[in-house]
Amino acid sequence: MDQLPIVVIACQVFQSLLEELIPAGVAERFTFLDYGLHRVPEKLTWALQDTIDEIAQPSLIMLGYGLCGNGLRGVKARQHTVIVPRTDDCIAILLGSYQKYIQEFEATPGSYYLTKGWLESGSNPLQEYQKYREKYGDDDATWIMDQQYQHYKRLVLVAHTMEDLEKYRPRAQEVAEYCQRWGMRYEEILGSDGYIRRLIEAAAALDTADGEFVVIPPGGEIEQEMFMRY
Amino acid sequence: MSELFSEFSKAVIEGNLDDIVGLTKDALDKGLNAKDILDKGLMPGMDHVGAEFKAGNLFVPEVLRSARAMQSSMSLIKPLLAETGAAMTGKLLLGTVKGDLHDIGKNLVGMMCEGAGFEVKDMGKDIEPDVFVEAVQEFKPDILGMSALLTTTMRSMEHTIKALEEAGVRDRLKIMIGGAPVTQTFADQIGADGYASNAASAAELAKKLMS
Repeated sequence: MDQLPIVVIACQVFQSLLEELIPAGVAERFTFLDYGLHRVPEKLTWALQDTIDEIAQPSLIMLGYGLCGNGLRGVKARQHTVIVPRTDDCIAILLGSYQKYIQEFEATPGSYYLTKGWLESGSNPLQEYQKYREKYGDDDATWIMDQQYQHYKRLVLVAHTMEDLEKYRPRAQEVAEYCQRWGMRYEEILGSDGYIRRLIEAAAALDTADGEFVVIPPGGEIEQEMFMRY
Repeated sequence: MSELFSEFSKAVIEGNLDDIVGLTKDALDKGLNAKDILDKGLMPGMDHVGAEFKAGNLFVPEVLRSARAMQSSMSLIKPLLAETGAAMTGKLLLGTVKGDLHDIGKNLVGMMCEGAGFEVKDMGKDIEPDVFVEAVQEFKPDILGMSALLTTTMRSMEHTIKALEEAGVRDRLKIMIGGAPVTQTFADQIGADGYASNAASAAELAKKLMS
């Protein structure tokens, strides 16, 4: 079978990484969707479906997403073949593998991850607090924050390269200082681009795609059950 | 009169804590019926919040504020509800399953169900199957609600249902489940009685499970 043209649809969190790792000319087109869509999973579903529906030529669509709170559930492949990492969300992809994610999860379940994407898009506890304070005043903002974050034990900055860790450290540390109100400790993890690399490899040779990925044939639909690992 | 009730709804929707306490005290002084305040004022407000949350027009912080406003009014009218003999809808036991620390959604379910007239006992988070079983034996709930926010912890719901079966108490209660990655299909698969995709639907489901 001839290789289908490759189309990339991904969260902005992976934009720089995908642009860097996918050789020029390999992908027909790239679409990067807003970071914030996962807050309303249904909106993510619609945005993905709209983007897929715009592609006329049968293609291999590489989704730079996880299940994202069921945001990917119900997305229809139409005439295309779709491949997506088999993970809950972007954290396992940033860490480099599902196994690494589980290892971290088991060591400290209450971990809040900071990434380049989240820091760039302003989605972190400190900025949330500032936003609520403007809207509701200090008392209410503090109460809202306590409700949402009091059980977290650890704040983790995760990046693929040392350069990124260094670049985002000052901002992450500002967030860390604020998060000390819940006794959260600050750590850094040098992740890996391995998962994204394997996604690109699997897309180039679909028959090699293993359990790390969910592959949807033409006419199929993404289901939540496909992401369960056991 | 209906204007007064809509003021309650408005205070809940806006999450206005200052207004709602005064409003409740005034209404009770004027001799308003506690059950009417709940059914015609607070609940319609919370129903609206639930619908807007589901539609993506409101987010967790707004819903938390609304739930808190509702609770502060509830705490004033609750003793009166009990006095007038208005029967509680039923007993609900809640918890987030083993390995999972997410509890905001589950807390909201608790608040919504309390609003719907349930006596709610919230066990918190990271609850082992055996601990659920003990609580069921002690509290004797009509409904058990379990929450999980990760595909990795969803299986704990299944393990808990099995533990309840082994203890011989599964048939004494209804089980409802929820959480971001949970689906109706999963609920059917593990033998739960119901699934709700958000806190407002959970309260509706709980009422339905009682009928």
